[in-house]
Amino acid sequence: MASFFLLIGTIYVAHFARFANLTVVAPYSSMSFLRHTLSPLFSVVSFVCDAVDGWAARKFNQVSTFGAVLDMVTDRFLSLSSQRMPGLVFLSLLALDIASHWLQMYSTFLMGKASHKDVKDSSNWLFRLYYGNRMFMAYCCVSCEVLYLILFYLSENHTEKLTDVLATNLQKISILSFLIATSLVGCTIKQLTNVIQLKTAADACVLYDIDKKHKQ
Amino acid sequence: MAKKPGPKPGSKPSKLSVYLYIPNIIGYTRVLLNCFAFHVCFTNKILFSILYFFSFVCDAVDGWAARKFNQVSTFGAVLDMVTDRISTACLLVVLSQVYKPGLVFLSLLALDIASHWLQMYSTFLMGKASHKDVKDSSNWLFRLYYGNRMFMAYCCVSCEVLYLILFYLSENHTEKLTDVLATNLQKISILSFLIATSLVGCTIKQLTNVIQLKTAADACVLYDIDKKHKQ
Repeated sequence: MASFFLLIGTIYVAHFARFANLTVVAPYSSMSFLRHTLSPLFSVVSFVCDAVDGWAARKFNQVSTFGAVLDMVTDRFLSLSSQRMPGLVFLSLLALDIASHWLQMYSTFLMGKASHKDVKDSSNWLFRLYYGNRMFMAYCCVSCEVLYLILFYLSENHTEKLTDVLATNLQKISILSFLIATSLVGCTIKQLTNVIQLKTAADACVLYDIDKKHKQ
Repeated sequence: MAKKPGPKPGSKPSKLSVYLYIPNIIGYTRVLLNCFAFHVCFTNKILFSILYFFSFVCDAVDGWAARKFNQVSTFGAVLDMVTDRISTACLLVVLSQVYKPGLVFLSLLALDIASHWLQMYSTFLMGKASHKDVKDSSNWLFRLYYGNRMFMAYCCVSCEVLYLILFYLSENHTEKLTDVLATNLQKISILSFLIATSLVGCTIKQLTNVIQLKTAADACVLYDIDKKHKQ
């Protein structure tokens, strides 16, 4: 009973934090304190809770389908809402994110795999590294969220060049520049994995039809 | 007996041949149109609107082509759905930046992704052929929406038309959504008529999305309950 409440409670805190971020903080985004402090704070809280509720679910053997799906969907939305100015770079990242995860989920269902994270039969080295090592996978996923949040934090009210902001902040030797550098690496690897995932999943959809026709 | 031309019985078509199906090629064209459209969206609003709308028209064409040339494919269906979601998502992100409150558009985006994602997931769990084959639902709006393809089309097209009109009407600075809507609805013109009718259709679609979201979430929960019950 206690484990059930812990699980539900964590899910609710995570989603409350995200919701509060969007509904309470966002309308006042012109107020610097709220935008620069409260918004990232809510994002971090919800992201941490995300990890905790996944851990709690496995520990207490209560992996629920609904929870898993809700998690995935709100993750996508969280990635999106932290992107401040819709330059083509961020629209493309959004497109790749949605496309790769959508196709991967679809092909996972077609092939009847338990979870899209259980890919043991792939020959691609990056794939095996990413999915074989949960710490590495976590580093890449966290890197993306951290990078997007840092970019949001660094943005001013007017539109600026992404490359300028990155260059300026990487050149200073500080904890922030270290964070940017490491998260850039992790984020890039994750995007590469997304591309491979997209191709693999598309192939799986095609092969499903071919096999089905062949059996007829 | 004359030999029929065609693949030998027992031979499988290659992956490449499925990727090159006519409806799938139309699908790739849609993707390219959208890429180009968003590339020019801030510099040439009219060109963007034409490209975006043309891509939306191709959406209907590729379904027709798949049936006509007997080239229906799972990959094609997924490509269609994903292209729809992404193009709508990108347009809503852009709208959230040029209008206040941006949260309206981010919410519409969230609802669009959430309702379609959960609906697809629950459809797989329940093994239904397509999420559009919902004959057993008791909700009247649901039955109306899915029962009548013209009505469904009107609602879907309304959303895209409304978003495009709002984008077209936006200026370079951020403005209040309610002001823009009020100003343009008050003039008696073709544009105000279009805005009014598409507002109605779009609202109905969003209501359907909410119901869809609830129904799909319930299906996911029931799936677990049934599974546990059978153990």
